[in-house]
Amino acid sequence: MSDPVKKVVIVPCSGIGKSFGTVSRVAAYQVTETDRPDQTQLIPLALLVMGDEESRKLLAESQAITVDGCKLACATKMVQQSGGQVARDYAVLDVYRRYRDFKPQGIAELNEEGEKLAAALAKEIDAVVDELSAHKEGGSHA
Amino acid sequence: MANFLETKVDKFIFRVDPTCFFNSEGVWVRVEGNRARLGLSDFLQQRSGDIAFVEVKPEETILVVGDEFSSVETIKVDLDLTSPVSGKVVKVNPALEDSPEIINQDPFGEGWLCEMELSAWETDQPRLLDANAYFTQMKHDAEEEVKRK
Repeated sequence: MSDPVKKVVIVPCSGIGKSFGTVSRVAAYQVTETDRPDQTQLIPLALLVMGDEESRKLLAESQAITVDGCKLACATKMVQQSGGQVARDYAVLDVYRRYRDFKPQGIAELNEEGEKLAAALAKEIDAVVDELSAHKEGGSHA
Repeated sequence: MANFLETKVDKFIFRVDPTCFFNSEGVWVRVEGNRARLGLSDFLQQRSGDIAFVEVKPEETILVVGDEFSSVETIKVDLDLTSPVSGKVVKVNPALEDSPEIINQDPFGEGWLCEMELSAWETDQPRLLDANAYFTQMKHDAEEEVKRK
């Protein structure tokens, strides 16, 4: 089992019933399950809200990337309130502004454009994960 | 700064600027001399959600009441807004290009859409709602919307 201390934590929006929230979760799954499974771990926002000790411990030992579905920024705020360090915070709306052709629709299942937006967001997160991982490796040799 | 008319419906607080007139869809107009600024009401922006993109007809465009002058895309809906007044667009808010979210943050202030040179204010004004009339309509619409949820 890999050392959780070396992982980058991804915390997506927990908003159910909103396309932008779904985009945040699809992107987070893409990063943590497919693109960078060895470097990342997803923490469901609900666990932080409930004060789950294991999640808080993992957060304290890791750098976090948050992905918010709306301007309330629950994921970012909850990570900060839980003592986590937010290395990068994404807002799906800002990402959509960079990819206007990918207008997300659908809730349980995204439309094709929504899937493309999630994939574009996942790629951006992948790059940040790589950067953070490189810093850690560099730091460990210092 | 104007003292807003304000009401709370469910958990939402809606404000109306008493210095503005409104069309029925919630576009406000604030007149100063022969010019006016236009924008989205607080209720319209809250009901529509976070704004992603805004487009406004370019400067020099001539409009009459009811002409479409702006399209707004939010995370929930696409809005085609019609002008409450007749005249010529003389300035489009330059801040909207990079920061359309200012409409959500300050709908009656920094989030204005455009300035117009008025051509028929005397005939346009009686067809608009003043702030008190719009406040009543808005409150009713907000309460109905809450009931539907």
